Amino acid sequence: MSDSVDTQPATSKFRAWIKRPYIRHVFLIWLAVTILIELFGPVQAHLMGAPASESMKAIEDTISLFTYAAAPVAALVISVVIYSIFGWRQAKSAGPSDESPAIRTNGPATTAWVLVSSILCVFLLIWGLGEMNSLAPKASSAKPIVIDAIGNQWAWNFKYPGSGNIESHELVMPKDQPIIFHVTSVDVIHSLWIVQLGVKIDANPFRVTLAHVTPTRIGRFSVRCAELCGLYHAHMQTDAVVLSPDDFNKWVANGGRS
Amino acid sequence: MSTTTRGPIPNGGGLMRRLNLGTAILTGVVFGFVGWYISGKLFGFGDGPDNGWGRDRVWIITMTMWAIGFMAGIGAFVGPIRWLMGRDQQFEDQMYLAGKNQGISRYFKFTTDHKVIGIQYLIITMLLFFVGGILAMLIRTDLISKNTEIFGPQTYNAVVGLHGIVMIIATIIMVTGPFGNFVVPIMIGARDMAFPRLNALSFWLIACVVPILLSAVFLGGIPTGWSAYEPLGSQAPPGMDSYLMTIIIFAISSGVAGANIITTVVKMRARGMTWNRTPIFVYGVVASVGLALPAFPTFMASQIISGVDRATGTVFYDTAAGGNDWLYTNLFWLMGHPEVYVILIPGLAAMMEYVPVFVRKPLFNFNAAVIGIAGIVGLSVMVWAHHMYMTGWAPNLNAPFMLTTELISVPTGMLFLVFVGTLWRGKVWARLPMLAIYAMLWNFIIGGITGIYLSDVPVDVALHGSMYVTAHFHYTLMGAGLVGAMGAVMYWFPKVTGRMFDEKIGGWGFWISQIGFNVTFMGMFAVGLAGQPRRVSAYSSLFAHGNFISTMGAYTIFIGMLIFLAAIIHSWTSGEKATANPWGAKTLEWQVPTPVPLENFEVLPIITSDPYGYGVPEKINEPQLEPVHAGDHR
Repeated sequence: MSDSVDTQPATSKFRAWIKRPYIRHVFLIWLAVTILIELFGPVQAHLMGAPASESMKAIEDTISLFTYAAAPVAALVISVVIYSIFGWRQAKSAGPSDESPAIRTNGPATTAWVLVSSILCVFLLIWGLGEMNSLAPKASSAKPIVIDAIGNQWAWNFKYPGSGNIESHELVMPKDQPIIFHVTSVDVIHSLWIVQLGVKIDANPFRVTLAHVTPTRIGRFSVRCAELCGLYHAHMQTDAVVLSPDDFNKWVANGGRS
Repeated sequence: MSTTTRGPIPNGGGLMRRLNLGTAILTGVVFGFVGWYISGKLFGFGDGPDNGWGRDRVWIITMTMWAIGFMAGIGAFVGPIRWLMGRDQQFEDQMYLAGKNQGISRYFKFTTDHKVIGIQYLIITMLLFFVGGILAMLIRTDLISKNTEIFGPQTYNAVVGLHGIVMIIATIIMVTGPFGNFVVPIMIGARDMAFPRLNALSFWLIACVVPILLSAVFLGGIPTGWSAYEPLGSQAPPGMDSYLMTIIIFAISSGVAGANIITTVVKMRARGMTWNRTPIFVYGVVASVGLALPAFPTFMASQIISGVDRATGTVFYDTAAGGNDWLYTNLFWLMGHPEVYVILIPGLAAMMEYVPVFVRKPLFNFNAAVIGIAGIVGLSVMVWAHHMYMTGWAPNLNAPFMLTTELISVPTGMLFLVFVGTLWRGKVWARLPMLAIYAMLWNFIIGGITGIYLSDVPVDVALHGSMYVTAHFHYTLMGAGLVGAMGAVMYWFPKVTGRMFDEKIGGWGFWISQIGFNVTFMGMFAVGLAGQPRRVSAYSSLFAHGNFISTMGAYTIFIGMLIFLAAIIHSWTSGEKATANPWGAKTLEWQVPTPVPLENFEVLPIITSDPYGYGVPEKINEPQLEPVHAGDHR
């Protein structure tokens, strides 16, 4: 830095800087774009539908939160793009300009950028770890119900080993009761996806994988296969039915007929 | 001719001078047929008693023989054979191989001139995009409404798989092939690649692979998606043999090309071209092929094992018999994630190369660009299992892989900083290649942020295997990667073809395809969030609107791309003649005449500055280090 030129204090330099018209314009565009992108948080959560478990709620909250966190950064890129198009663009006929400033780099801008993106990255990581931790199965009061989910080309079968080995093509579960899935496959890799409950785990042939959930809403939800498994992959779907504990007990007592 | 000092034209060489694409196809077909007939007699043409392995043996042998015959017929073995026979090539032979005075016919031969190979790559890339694009249209047409079935699920799955692998190969070669070959040697001040014959070899291996890949159509297709997970892959028809032979040969091609390009850049830069004065595009190309070097051999290995399983009845991937299907998944993604950066980086680097030309400013923070690229390359080999969060393979590794994946956002952010910083206050010369940068930034920020959602393990529970993922990687690979390649085509068009790109027709095509692109994949994000799985031939009525919108968007892309293609063809054949340096750019490829002479430079250049010395120096607010002769500043 040449010490002869700028003797003015940093604050007044900053004040002069923010008074430049393009700074104000870019700032206003950035603000507007940030707000617009923030809206995508709730929109995405809305598209995912009402959650039917704590895990699904956590997932939707996370998507919204990440959108809120990412919006200012994305908006910065987009606002510079917009101002570059509408503020700094020359007429095409003008040809290449010879008046652009020869800015090679800018220490504070680079430092701030890398710092902010690193902080955001650490935040994402900590949030994700916390979320994984809070969603991990807990040694809770209620004894979990074990359901065996078996994928075969191209249907799901569910067995209830703790409830008289009932077999069902629909996934029937009681509300507010922790459930553990033992998932496997008899042929190729499938992936058990209970959409509104936020459950997904691959069904691997000759191996058992685990997943767990506690349904929090009574209703009919979708079970799909999320891993291409051959000819009728698209049709490998069924319903997940969450019943009140009483109805579920009745269902078990009826041997799996409602 | 001043050949007297070198003696007469060496005996022979006559055969070498008679080989071309025609002889290659002929010998390929003959070899292939012989291989098919003999192996069929030995192992049975698919009705053998040995559990159908015979069928796969026959096809793998047939394809191998085709490849050997094709490569022999094009002249790939001429060099080593003549060397073995003690008649190594003379200067005239090498000039002949470089395509001297052969006009258009040199594009159909084993020509070693890097500029010819660049154009060959460009043509084959566009051909692959055309095929892949048609397949995409078939997919979207089948999904236009809930009940449409233009073909059954078998064909649908085959189309999806073929679309995937065709596009993956096309996007891998789309920048490093055409421009890594045509532009990079000139850009660094070299007369050709370090190993010109290997360069031709890498291209002709790809030419040889295209028929093998497309043969899948007649062999039952690749109904497994391009990831071809086991054990689903072992159920698939001999189309899988096409797939695995394609991958094996393609990996050889990319390995050869990678070694060649890296050697060229490391050893053959002009005097004075220090690493700080080496253009960023060169970094991008080296990063891409350098990342492919460790990545693709694992893919090749995965497919060799798969071929052995199919043809000889081994059980490497058969969990039931003591193998392990997760071995395949790991090998696949060990390649699969680096591979997305192999695709993405050179497209971004091409745009970083020319954004200073159009805003007439230096590239903002060159060092950050290099560190960003290096950081992405380094991290990308450590993130593969984020594709496997939901497999159950190693749940305890999900957190570490989430860490490495999210860390990539930092070097990626640095690349955004370079673009934003270069745009900042730059007086923009709004030519079409420049406008493509805006489109890329828009697409890439969407692709990048959705990638962050997917890196989060709990969120991935909801989104893995859904259309959301499909939309995400199209935003990065197509929205950023392919747009980068389209920008590269427009930017280097005057140098490659000698004519200006028609920005009017091309602009219509480009913007129509961009609008279509955003419509298509926004629709796909929506249905993915709502729960539509990937790779489905039918879907619940919940997703009807989103799919219809996506299909309309896809048709729009196709129309736009056709117009863009028309602009390329029109400009190439009858566009306005270009001067040597129509953009007033400072990199070396613009300082040589157009068309570029055979060995690029009469006198090799000496470099005294980096190529980004645009703009007027600022007195205040800028930490100018030195008086402003570009390049002295370091």
